[in-house]
Order: sequence, then structure tokens, then C-alpha cells
Amino acid sequence: MNMSLLRVCASTSIFRATKGLFMESAFTGCLRTASGAAKDKEPLRKAKTPQGRFDMNDEKIKDPLEKFPDDVNPATKEQGGPRGPEPTRYGDWERKGRCVDF
Amino acid sequence: MAVVCTASRVLTKKILSAKALLAVSQSSRKLHFSIYGKNEAKVSDGISTQYPVVDHEFDAVVVGAGGAGLRAAFGLSEAGFNTACVTKLFPTRSHTVAAQGGINAALGNMEGDDWRWHFYDTVKGSDWLGDQDAIHYMTEQAPHAVVELENFGMPFSRTEDGKIYQRAFGGQSLKFGKGGQAHRCCCVADRTGHSLLHTLYGRSLRYDTSYFVEYFALDLLMEEGECKGVIALCMEDGSIHRFRSKNTVIATGGYGRTYFSCTSAHTSTGDGNAMVTRAGLPCQDLEFVQFHPTGIYGAGCLITEGCRGEGGILINSEGERFMERYAPNAKDLASRDVVSRSITIEIREGRGCGPEKDHAYLQLHHLPPQQLATRLPGISETAMVFAGVDVTKEPIPVLPTVHYNMGGIPTNYKGQVLTYTPEEGDKVVPGLFACGEAACASVHGANRLGANSLLDLVVFGRACAHTIADICNPGEKLSPLKPNAGEESVANLDKLRFADGSMRTSEIRLNMQKTMQNHAAVFRTGKVLKEGCDKMDAVYQTLDDIKTFDRGIVWNTDLVETLELQNLMLNAVQTINSAEQRQESRGAHSREDFKDRMDELDYAKPLAGQVRKPIEEHWRKHTMSTVDPKTGKVTLKYRPVIDNSLDAEDCAAIPPAIRSY
Repeated sequence: MNMSLLRVCASTSIFRATKGLFMESAFTGCLRTASGAAKDKEPLRKAKTPQGRFDMNDEKIKDPLEKFPDDVNPATKEQGGPRGPEPTRYGDWERKGRCVDF
Repeated sequence: MAVVCTASRVLTKKILSAKALLAVSQSSRKLHFSIYGKNEAKVSDGISTQYPVVDHEFDAVVVGAGGAGLRAAFGLSEAGFNTACVTKLFPTRSHTVAAQGGINAALGNMEGDDWRWHFYDTVKGSDWLGDQDAIHYMTEQAPHAVVELENFGMPFSRTEDGKIYQRAFGGQSLKFGKGGQAHRCCCVADRTGHSLLHTLYGRSLRYDTSYFVEYFALDLLMEEGECKGVIALCMEDGSIHRFRSKNTVIATGGYGRTYFSCTSAHTSTGDGNAMVTRAGLPCQDLEFVQFHPTGIYGAGCLITEGCRGEGGILINSEGERFMERYAPNAKDLASRDVVSRSITIEIREGRGCGPEKDHAYLQLHHLPPQQLATRLPGISETAMVFAGVDVTKEPIPVLPTVHYNMGGIPTNYKGQVLTYTPEEGDKVVPGLFACGEAACASVHGANRLGANSLLDLVVFGRACAHTIADICNPGEKLSPLKPNAGEESVANLDKLRFADGSMRTSEIRLNMQKTMQNHAAVFRTGKVLKEGCDKMDAVYQTLDDIKTFDRGIVWNTDLVETLELQNLMLNAVQTINSAEQRQESRGAHSREDFKDRMDELDYAKPLAGQVRKPIEEHWRKHTMSTVDPKTGKVTLKYRPVIDNSLDAEDCAAIPPAIRSY
């Protein structure tokens, strides 16, 4: 049953590609039913890769540089500018403690 | 469509018949380059039967797809030229993407501004080693270039009125240094270089530039002093390609990787400089390398001066705050070059930290963590990710790090590559152009100002495209090329592929990097440099004893790294030899034994009554270095600085003076 469904979907897609005809609705219909059938069969397996030092999946890392409201810097009225404190305040271009230009 | 398929199938058969590509033939897949309608790529046996060569013909070839390369490539396509862009990296992976600072332009959005003031600042920043006609061209074109980028869709940050927001950065002043700080630096949030590269790449896809991605350019095809194209290795399938064209633009970037500690990507290996050197042409001002005092050991990221500004201190292996000895008043807040030199001297005298005693520590854990988090947000993350230290408990290992190469391939303000003889002056090499960090126009002179290098990329990338459009027409017939052109490059490739000496590529590379870091870094004296020249010469000779392991030809990264090492070596020997010969301190090149600038007149004293020194006796001149690739011997010649601007009435040239900030 599955195989014939897939074959129909496959032939539909080739037909669509070469002739350029629009059979989208039938095609996606095929796809949805095919994947739905697969989901019922077996649950997804959990990843077995070892946890690294930076894999903190429980706590979300908060970005230390917060976005300004509406992306407008309240002090300088700059729109779309760098987040956080002014990057050039120490004479070089600083971001997150890293100097990127001087 | 069908014709192209059959043509490619025929070519595939021809190539697959070669013995060396036996592995490829077994999978019978098509080679990934395709024939772009207009010119049919032909396979030839001209160089060797082991390495079949594919010949392409274009109106222009650009080597390198960073900021400058992309701008040149699509500028040429826009002008109607059939352009190829040969790059060893995907365009958006070029090192331009790491340039997060801004781009300078005298737009005048924050206060009244004039590009002539920007011109003055850049000439002064270059310590009067920059060519004033090129600086005039760059600063005059800066507003047009930035507005053009903005029209391409680059999302600059804005003021309330909707104009581009400009901030103060990079030694910029108003009214020729007398009007206070100028606000000229435009940026895109935190990622100007990234945005620039993506904007240019997106824009370039509008035009039909042919991209040859992951093709490593081996050499220039020179005949009778004229550049007729480039020969490259396709890394994906190991085929050799010759790109014949009337115009070749080199935009391959800098060579930070000659040093042990640098901010550049692993791919910044000075390929363009080396290609030009092997063609017998000179490179200019390679001794001027810009350092930053505190780069993280191993990673190469720079730690901001703000750390020291907020109270961080530098300590040596004895736990001593050594800056008190070198700068009793300013201590850790001394100027960058003083700090770099102090760290280097501490390391040289044996008080370095770590198992190899080759770096210093930047200590921040004596500051309250709350203060660090509010004043320097993100630093704990940076320190943990790049140095693996908890900044509230341990110090960060730092050492002086290379950031930018001011020197490169000598060009005029139009982007044409030059050679120089005292009798005939500057002579253009026909068919060869250069732009970006690889070129030396020279706008940065002895020291680069912040936010000027992104400007340099776009202005001179565009200049190369305009010059080529002025000189040639699209579709011009190419002059004939010898059928065996490029055979030395292929012979070299073959030799390296089967090299069976005793030293690995990584060992030789580390030797070179350590030698350069110890001898040609910030602390330069005659004795240290001479010792370094001898050691570099010895390391250069060990290249003959190299051993590679991968004998294949498909995606042979061992081979490509070895080719890059050859290129790095050529850059390194020129850098250290030029530095040894230059007996003065100017800009980024500072020597302990010759602490002053040596110009034709002594500008510290009143000029009346002084006798102008001849060019052989002063150092306000460009170094032109050439290398004999077989022996590694460097020959140095000198070229005078261009002191007149493009239009004396429009913008007066700035006479030299003492540089003080």
C-alpha cells in the first residue's frame, strides 16, 4: 500500500518536473499521508552523542547584548546600530570583549 | 541544452581517458565545471599527458572573491565583459566576512564634513608613506562608494532622519586636524564586513559572472612581461585549468598566517603576492605589518583595550605587573605599540608564561564580576569560548597578534600593477591589476587607520573594473599563448604531490611561524632581525625536504596546504628581509636601534636652511622586494613616494610633518 502510494508520488513529481504542469495539491497530499503512515510505526530515537562543555540544553543562554526596543538606541537615536554599549567607547571597535578593528 | 550535454560528455570522455584520473573514471560522473554557452572550454595535452589541462577564454579573470574581488568581478560583468571569478573559497567564506568594524566616508551626516579632511587624516595616518594620488582618489570616491553600497541594499544603521549614522572612530578629525573629532564611520549593526560581502555576492549574481569556486590559483601566465591569464587547480576533481584573458585582477587578500599569532583565517596565505613574486615582479612595503598587543594565545582573537581601560593588568610569569617598568605613568594604558613591545621584551627575556614561555597574561579576576558584566558585556563568554578560561578566576593568555598587512602588490591609483626602475620610473605591467589587501596602492602607507580597509576594498575593486573598461572592449581577440604555458606550475604541483622528504608541511609551517613571531614581530632591532633572516633562510631551504602523504588528486588538502606554505614562505622571507634593511621607525615598523623617522628633511626642526637628502640617504620611500624562488634570496630596491595629489587645485597635497596624536 505504502509502496504504491510512493510510486504514484514519484511519478507525479517527474511528470511535474518535465512537463511543468501544476499537480501540487495531489503531490503534497501523497506526501502527507506517506509520512503520517511512517510516524505511527516507530517513535523518534533520542540522540546518543555525548554532551559537550557548551551543550547546555536545559538553560537557554541569554545573549549578553540585548536588543534595543524597536532596534533604536535610546541614547544616540541610531536605528539598526550595534547592540549593547557603544563599540567605540575605548578607542577601538569592541564587541563582547573582542576587538575587531583599531 | 542538448548540445551542451553532448559537448560535456565528449570532454568528459577525453579527460577520463588519462591514466592519472583512473579513480574518477570508475565512478563515471561528469566533471563539475560546465561550459558557459559563449566559450567552449577545450582540453589540451599541451603541458603533460598525466595532467590534462582545460583551457578557458575570458575577457577578464578575477582571482579571489572577497570584498575587492567581488566588486571587481561584477563591475566588469556590468560593463559587459565576460568575466571569470576564480576563488579557493566560496565567496561568502572569504576573510572579509570577519571585518566587523565600520567603513569611513565623508558623507557629512552628523556634522559638516569634507573629503579633503579625510584625505589629510589618511595621509597623516600613513606616516607620509602613502601615495597621495591614491589616497586622494580613495577619499574622494568614498561617499560615492558608500552610497552605491547602500543602493545595492546594504543595511547601514540610520539616524532619526533616515540618513546613514556615522560615529567617531579611527583617528578621524575635522579641518585638517584642528577641528576636533570627526564622525565618519558608517556601520551595519555589528557586522559590516559580513553584510558587505553578502550584499556584493547577492548583487553579483545579477550579472553573468562565471564563478569557479574552490579552484586554487597556482600561477600567473606571463609572456614577455605581459600577463595573459592564470593557471589553477580545481580542488574538487584535480583537473588543471588555464584561464586565458587579457585582464587579470588579483584580489587574494593578506598573508597573516606567516606569523604564529594572527587574526586572519587559515586561508590568508598571500597567494596573490606569491604568484606575482614567482612571475618575477616586485612586492611593495611588506615589512609594514599591523600588530595588536593583546590577542588570545592560540585562537588569535583580539581582546579589546577596554579590558585594560577598566582596570585589567598584564602580568608575566613572575606575577609582576611589568607595564609599570616600561611606562611608569600610563602603565597598562600606554599606547598600543609600547604595550606590544613590552610584552615581547618580557617574553624574550624569559619571563613569558605557559609551558613554552611564549605569552603574557591579562588579568581581570581582581575586578568585581558585576563591573565586568556591566562594562564589558560578553567578555566572559569570549574568554571561555576562545581561551577556555573563566575570566573571573583565571587570567587570559595574550600575545601581540598580526591583524593587517599594509604591503602587497604595487599598483597605481587605477589598480594597474607597476614595476619600477630609477631610469624609467613607474611602468605598468600590461594585463595585470590588483586590489584589496593584496594590493598596495598605497593608501595605508606605514600604518592603516581603522575602518579604512573596507573602503579600500570597494573603491579599488571598482577602480580596477573602470580601468579595464576604459582600456579594453569586451570580446576582443586574445593574443596567442604558448601551448605549454604554465608547465612549471604543473611540474611543481607534481613534485609536491609525490614529495617524500622527512619534514611534514605542518612542522615547516610551525617553524616559519615561530621564527617570524620571535624575530619579525613588534620588537625589531638589527641583531634580532639579522638572526631572523638567517633562520628564515634555513627554514626556506627545508622546503626541499618536505613530505606529503596524500598522493591522490581529488580534494588533496595536503597538497593545497603545501602550495599555500610555499606562498607563505615567499611572503615571510620578503617581510623579514625588508624589515632588516629599513633602518628607521615609521608607522607600524618600529626599531629599537633607529627610533626616529628618517625623511629627506628633518621635519622636527624649521625647514629653512636644511639640505634635502638624496633618496639613497633617507627612508621615505617604498621597498620593492623580489625573490629568487629557487634559492630564497631576496633583492631589495626602492621607489619614491608619490607626493602630489591627483588635482593640486582641488585638493592640495599635504607636505610631510611630524606625526603626533
